[in-house]
Amino acid sequence: MMKLLRRETQLRQTLLKALYDENLRVIGKKPATKASRFPFLKGRLLFLYVMLLLFSFGYTDYLNPLVSSNDAVINATIQHRNYAGDYPDEIFPSDYSSLLNETAVPLKRVFGLEVKTIIIDAGHGGDDPGAIGTLGTMEKNITLDIAQRLKERLEEHMRYNVLMTREKDKSLSLKRRIEIANSSKADIFISIHVNYLPAKPIDIIETYYFGPSSDENTLRLAAKENEGSRYSLSDYNEVIQKIGNTLKLQESRVLAAQIQKNLFLHMKTLNKNVLDFGVKRAPFLVLLGVDMPGILVEVACLSNKEEEYKLNNPNYREDIARYLEAGIIQYLLNGRSNS
Amino acid sequence: MKQQTGKKDSALYVGIDLGTSRSAISASNDIKDWVESYVGWPKDFIAAKVLGKDVLFGSEALENRLSLELYRPLERGVIKEGIERNEEAVRELIRYMIGLVKPQPEQKIYAIVGVPADTLKINKLAIRKAVSEYVNSLMVVSEPFSVAYGLNLLNNALIIDLGAGTVDFCIMHGSIPDENDQKTILTAGDYVDEQLYSYMSEKYPDSTFNLNMIRQFKERYSFVGDTEEAIHVEIPVNGRPVMHDITNEIRRACESILPAIIDTTSEMIARFDPEFQAKIKRNIVVAGGGSLIRGIAQYISNALKEYGPCNVRCVEEPLYAGSDGALKLAADMPEKYWEEL
Ligand SMILES: Nc1ncnc2c1ncn2[C@@H]1O[C@H](COP(=O)(O)OP(=O)(O)O)[C@@H](O)[C@H]1O
Ligand SMILES: [Zn+2]
Repeated sequence: MMKLLRRETQLRQTLLKALYDENLRVIGKKPATKASRFPFLKGRLLFLYVMLLLFSFGYTDYLNPLVSSNDAVINATIQHRNYAGDYPDEIFPSDYSSLLNETAVPLKRVFGLEVKTIIIDAGHGGDDPGAIGTLGTMEKNITLDIAQRLKERLEEHMRYNVLMTREKDKSLSLKRRIEIANSSKADIFISIHVNYLPAKPIDIIETYYFGPSSDENTLRLAAKENEGSRYSLSDYNEVIQKIGNTLKLQESRVLAAQIQKNLFLHMKTLNKNVLDFGVKRAPFLVLLGVDMPGILVEVACLSNKEEEYKLNNPNYREDIARYLEAGIIQYLLNGRSNS
Repeated sequence: MKQQTGKKDSALYVGIDLGTSRSAISASNDIKDWVESYVGWPKDFIAAKVLGKDVLFGSEALENRLSLELYRPLERGVIKEGIERNEEAVRELIRYMIGLVKPQPEQKIYAIVGVPADTLKINKLAIRKAVSEYVNSLMVVSEPFSVAYGLNLLNNALIIDLGAGTVDFCIMHGSIPDENDQKTILTAGDYVDEQLYSYMSEKYPDSTFNLNMIRQFKERYSFVGDTEEAIHVEIPVNGRPVMHDITNEIRRACESILPAIIDTTSEMIARFDPEFQAKIKRNIVVAGGGSLIRGIAQYISNALKEYGPCNVRCVEEPLYAGSDGALKLAADMPEKYWEEL
């Protein structure tokens, strides 16, 4: 018992001392631990080193004008909601404030300063028009336009390398899309689609990452979006079952959550009736194939006539791109917890 | 909190938990208090006149939000303007909170400030700067660690801190937790609100509610697993109050964050050798506002059981678990360390 107590006291003292040292370092009163990753650094030293590293990231970032300009961009996106006066402000101020409170934008957190590569996949194209609205609007054109706008917006940050699987209206098999994404060594993969729900006059936003699903609607959608491949889902059944909770999967889920959250909460301010169908898993082959974290977002609903009108307005498409951007940036700035 | 030496009695020790949604302070004079982490400045001089104050805090700030520039300074972002204003908001919040525990004039103040685990990646220096104006010496620590220290869980334990924006996991194994012992996921309290909002919009498309109302419903009725009674709330429909059954929506929304929490828990535990795994599993503690969800400990424990016995419990006072732990750290910290800082 005595021994136990002594051990605990010792442990306490070690912890207090380590905390003290760490704080000294923060204010620069002690020389920094050499930044190297040797095994002997494990334990306490490693902890201090990590703290130091994290701190220095935070600090550089604090001084980094790029990040504040990100903030400005994203802040601007939040304030910008009454564009062109086309869509009346239907939301009550109290709703608006609470929505704003929910849509935090990253301040100054980064986990790395290296350039990230983002690959954007505009769904369908060429012979494959995707969904077609009652006015004749084709999914393939909407996805390409939004993808291009998103690319431009991301490039303005000057710190992302942005690629597209297609830049024109051309046919592209899922296999080819996967090859392009994987050879680009991108960090994240964003596939843009537009939903079509003939049976219901509703308007929804939903974001998917790869995984098994038992929901019939989801499976039907997956079958539709998988059409461009020569494979059938059953070819992949085994893989789908085996896929565990890998890092890619977890990251994809976080990415999907950020995108869904930003897109939905902002679009809701423009369109009160839009519903949040949330983040879901679905066996989209394109998401299975890519090596990096990836998501597929259904940004709007072409089956809804009002929505189809809006999608024909470039301002509306720009808004969608802007909120996709906000989600991606938020993910890149805070998304990964351990990487 | 008792002080060990006479010399220490002259100083006031405080533990502060700076949260994204709520902040709490515990002091060695036995005073504790908390405030919602909102700081608001009047938008213009008319608003200032009407409100009669230069700066408002917590629920008062929330209530008057339409006349204020409102900040939730520890949230991962600012609503308007830039970083400086956010830092100023932290500074104001600290000043206000220290006022709440009534230090004697001229009394020395030593503070330990717990910040969200991921704030370590932001800018501890900025937080130090904001706090240091009002205290004589201070240290910044990650929130789950101060919770663990306060509960005396220095070894063989896992803390799950379920906050508004994040769930922070921290494994304690007799040393300072390192990178591998901590993990943060983003589906937390705010996410539950969003889910509840969308489930309710789906079920009651004609009813009028907003996210603030949703959060209040959640905080009042949250539960997972089985419930004894149905939950009914009053919501206006076309201007008339109507009772709505939201039992299933509340359950689904609260349960929506659990799979990720359970996955992360078992994954973090699985990294250790089996003997240690068994020990941690007997010492899982849920903290933060989310620990108030009825049935949450039981639910997590049931889910983890299939891999052997486990014991999950909730902290007794989630609001003060962090600030009490920070106060304990402050009281235990040797005097000479304070002098250096
Ligand atoms: N009774 C309750 N049931 C469920 N959630 C609650 C309850 N009380 C508070 N919360 C939620 O807990 C979160 C705040 O927890 P807290 O630990 O204070 O977070 P933070 O440290 O991020 O400020 C909020 O999402 C809040 O809605
Ligand atoms: Zn499609």
